[in-house]
Amino acid sequence: MLLTSLVVGATYGVIARQSGLSVLEASGSSVIIFAGAAQFAAVGLLQSGATPVEIALSVLLINLRHLLMAASLRPHFRDARGLRRLGLAYILTDESFAMGIGWFRRGHRDLTYYATFAALLWACWNVGTIVGAVFGAGIEQPQRYGVDFAITACFVAIVAIGVRHRADVVVALTAAAVAAALRLAGASTVAVVIAGAVAPVVILFGRDREIAREVEP
Amino acid sequence: MTVWIAIGLSGLATYATRVLPLVITLRGSAPSLVRRYLDALPTAVIAALAGAGIAVPDGSPTGGAEVVAAAVATALAVWRKNLLLAVLGAVLTVAGLRAAGL
Repeated sequence: MLLTSLVVGATYGVIARQSGLSVLEASGSSVIIFAGAAQFAAVGLLQSGATPVEIALSVLLINLRHLLMAASLRPHFRDARGLRRLGLAYILTDESFAMGIGWFRRGHRDLTYYATFAALLWACWNVGTIVGAVFGAGIEQPQRYGVDFAITACFVAIVAIGVRHRADVVVALTAAAVAAALRLAGASTVAVVIAGAVAPVVILFGRDREIAREVEP
Repeated sequence: MTVWIAIGLSGLATYATRVLPLVITLRGSAPSLVRRYLDALPTAVIAALAGAGIAVPDGSPTGGAEVVAAAVATALAVWRKNLLLAVLGAVLTVAGLRAAGL
């Protein structure tokens, strides 16, 4: 998992540079935002000319799931006060949540395991970003080499790798199809993101009970 | 400057989702419908970005190369669970197909 964080972080660094960000901006975004998929989305939206508010709203949509994770972790964080608690929140990711909640459910009470693992993930992500950004300098004529397609390919791969059950496939295909149709009809990329936020409704009333089991307290 | 404002606002939005449940007391638990919606949201938003990028890669509708490349990326991602490999495969596919005139 740490190696994955390093490699995906480096991929992000390269993509950010290809999309016109400087090394400092690429690295700064990994420190300040520190959320994989949302950072790829932010870079893609920046490239397509979205405003900062539109970008932040899209990032918010992608990261809203943290609310449930933080709420599940809250009872286990009761010993952490003040700055320590704020720090534990900063390094909360899908991966650290999964490892942490597993640890606490096995009856452990100490926070060292979660904190160490989450901090290492943070370090790998940021080192990866810097390495990718430094070595991923701009390529001339990106269209000719297909590099302009790299960020879209990242979105495709993030979704495909993240599929857990049939409902994920249904949501992904619905969102992609609606977005493609809207974009072909001339809608902006931000309108497309909003359309994506509507797509999960298709599975809400289905019978697939697997959904959200991961974040049940 | 726009880039830094975007990064700053995105950072604030992200941190808010991580910290709010830890600093304010929420009574009860989220209804199942809300859980399911929030759980599916990241997949939907990222897939929407993917769909838009495939349909209109660079201001004009795709000639087909991007559709094939997206299929290659999906296959590689499902097969090896490797982001970098999937992206490389897709980029090479697009470059090859565009060179072939698609």
